[in-house]
Amino acid sequence: MKTIDVQPQPILSLKRIFAIALSGVKYRLFRAVVTVAVITVAMAFLMNILTESLIKKAVANSARDQIANLHRVDQWIARLSVPQTGEQIIAGLAQADPADPYVAELAGMSGKTPDDLASLQATARSAQEYLQFFQDMNYGRRRVLVGRAESARIFDHLQDPGAYDKFTANLSHMKTLRFPTEADAFQAFLAEWPTLRDWMGTVRDGQAKAIEQIKKSLGNQPLVEALRNADGDFGETLRQAGFALGTEEAASLSREVKRLDNMLLIESTINNPELRQAVAAKQDILPGDVSVALIWDLIDRSHGAAWYVDEMNKAGLDTEKLDPAFIRDLAGDYAHAQLLKYAERQTLDTGGGLMGIGARMTWLALVSMLVCAVGIANAMLMSVTERFREIATLKCLGALDGFIMTVFLIEAGILGIVGGIAGTLIGLVLAILRMALGFQSLLVQSFPALDLVKAGLISILLGMILAAIAAVYPSFRAARLAPMEAMRIE
Amino acid sequence: MTTPATTESRPAERRVIIRTVGMKKIYQRGMETTHALRGVDVEIYTGEFIVVMGPSGSGKSTFFNMIGALDSPSEGRTFIDEVDVAQLTAEELAFLRCRKIGYIFQSYNLIQYMTALENVTTPMAFGGVSPDEARSRGMELLELVGLKERWFHRPIEMSGGQQQRVAIARALANQPAILLCDEPTANLDHKTGDEILDILQRLNQERGVTIICATHDHRMMNICDRLMWIRDGAIERIANRNEVEVELASID
Ligand SMILES: Nc1ncnc2c1ncn2[C@@H]1O[C@H](COP(=O)(O)OP(=O)(O)O)[C@@H](O)[C@H]1O
Ligand SMILES: [Mg+2]
Repeated sequence: MKTIDVQPQPILSLKRIFAIALSGVKYRLFRAVVTVAVITVAMAFLMNILTESLIKKAVANSARDQIANLHRVDQWIARLSVPQTGEQIIAGLAQADPADPYVAELAGMSGKTPDDLASLQATARSAQEYLQFFQDMNYGRRRVLVGRAESARIFDHLQDPGAYDKFTANLSHMKTLRFPTEADAFQAFLAEWPTLRDWMGTVRDGQAKAIEQIKKSLGNQPLVEALRNADGDFGETLRQAGFALGTEEAASLSREVKRLDNMLLIESTINNPELRQAVAAKQDILPGDVSVALIWDLIDRSHGAAWYVDEMNKAGLDTEKLDPAFIRDLAGDYAHAQLLKYAERQTLDTGGGLMGIGARMTWLALVSMLVCAVGIANAMLMSVTERFREIATLKCLGALDGFIMTVFLIEAGILGIVGGIAGTLIGLVLAILRMALGFQSLLVQSFPALDLVKAGLISILLGMILAAIAAVYPSFRAARLAPMEAMRIE
Repeated sequence: MTTPATTESRPAERRVIIRTVGMKKIYQRGMETTHALRGVDVEIYTGEFIVVMGPSGSGKSTFFNMIGALDSPSEGRTFIDEVDVAQLTAEELAFLRCRKIGYIFQSYNLIQYMTALENVTTPMAFGGVSPDEARSRGMELLELVGLKERWFHRPIEMSGGQQQRVAIARALANQPAILLCDEPTANLDHKTGDEILDILQRLNQERGVTIICATHDHRMMNICDRLMWIRDGAIERIANRNEVEVELASID
């Protein structure tokens, strides 16, 4: 049989193919615009979610200390009312720096020196790690592994050799679980555990005694009231009882108590009809529309604080504890505190998941990626199917399948990159605007520029890759057909 | 006889260039089956100008696609240069379509976003001609079909006849040995049709290109070597032109 003497077809330069793809895009501008629009919307959606999550994460990180400050008083009241739980002590010790006053406090409570705590601190760190492992597990599995034991009791439970064997045997069957350390290390830890537990017992005893002592010195005075003097006598009392209270901490604690006190006092005035009337008259609104925020707003104005204290006096309220200059400051704090509370609520979820944006957001981002993929695949499918005739013609002229696929992939890539950039920018801007409305000054402090650039690049790249992948299948199918079959499909 | 590659003088050395054996094509569309070709056996020789006639729907375009290696028959074989088309790989098919055969489609099938010149030079790019050479050769071909001045026009800016002429120039891009034309004059006015016929005749006579032309157009009879009638997917008759002329004369 004769053969046809084929010469290999030259590979066209990428520049040439690029030019062909580009002129195709230009010619079908409307179709291309629709495809780009689909990609844009999809990528904008994804980028919006990513941006909001990253901003929330950054705000949460930067506001963490300020938010913790909001709870400072609660924490001290708790510490001065009951001894800490084992888990609290473990967590506190594991996280503390050896020079931390808290370490000294623990040492003092148990009649040791801070240096003695070094080995206990190591054990506490392991304990923390294992506790996290058990806590992340679902209840059913924990039940199988350690029975009804909870938190630190698990370690007590595993002191029993039978329970320990059962635990290791069951653990080896749970293939998806990753135990944080080798078995040897865990055994060594379990051997150390009783020492830590017993020491924590002495700490708790020490704390109970200290609390008793403070109660006695307080007499009938409520604890909150006494804390106003945390930077004075009462702070001295606390230190003598063995609590680590730095001067700075004492100052902010007493300020915080005063702040809460005054705030409560001011905010309770909203229930006073005369004051309502006065505020309404000054603001020229109905008494029913007076709100807490409005009162703070008024106090924040020049002479507002003095005027309000005056009005309170006229209404027969006790203003002895109120200092106009101080409540003027409070008004400034009020907005910021509201903001922090808002930030705390909004950022509860952050921490885990992809790039630290939280599990729920990771899930949303993945779903939106899926939506993007489907949308882009559909757009590309349409745009390739529409052009079967052109593909068939090119094949009649001797184009190889590879050439046709390259043209379409490049075209899809161009559309993907344009849509990706547009979508990313739109998503980014919208998300920043929305977050800026909510977080205001907090956002400026913690704007995660670098993370956002990274996310933007990822999402542009993703748009391009998704578009190219989505074009692979239809163009492959079209390229493989006999030319006339392709023409018939229309 | 300008092109050296095709200088064989026709009557002396007649080689078969296309041969079909029991070629059938059945289109299946849902419940409906169309027998577009019902077993066609034909031999076409190098340098020949053969006209395929038949009413519309008789299977001319289907035949054209089969012998042009653009579609696969349901049954039977096509040989081009004594090579069985069904045995060719994708690369070999591409090579064949690119270098050996030029196609002129009933509906032109120009690429809409390319200029006339780009349309003509695209097959050259696939054939490995350098861009500069492709450009000058493309301009020559456009001159041949009388469109040199309109090289930068896109199909949408040209009349049907002009598009058809671009399609002819494109079909000649890689100096094919075979030219397949599917109703090249069907959509044209009388005068333009004459011009196209003239071009085809010159190609056949001066360059020795084998031309297979499906048509309704009776003017074709004057320039062809042989005629073939198709009806309902089967060959009704094949005759040389002089035989037919004798018949026509006798009718007069
Ligand atoms: N893609 C197709 N699907 C189904 N039937 C077809 C298809 N193409 C052509 N046919 C049928 O095959 C027959 C021959 O068509 P065709 O070769 O186009 O005829 P001609 O070119 O002579 O007008 C017609 O009956 C037509 O309806
Ligand atoms: Mg036809």
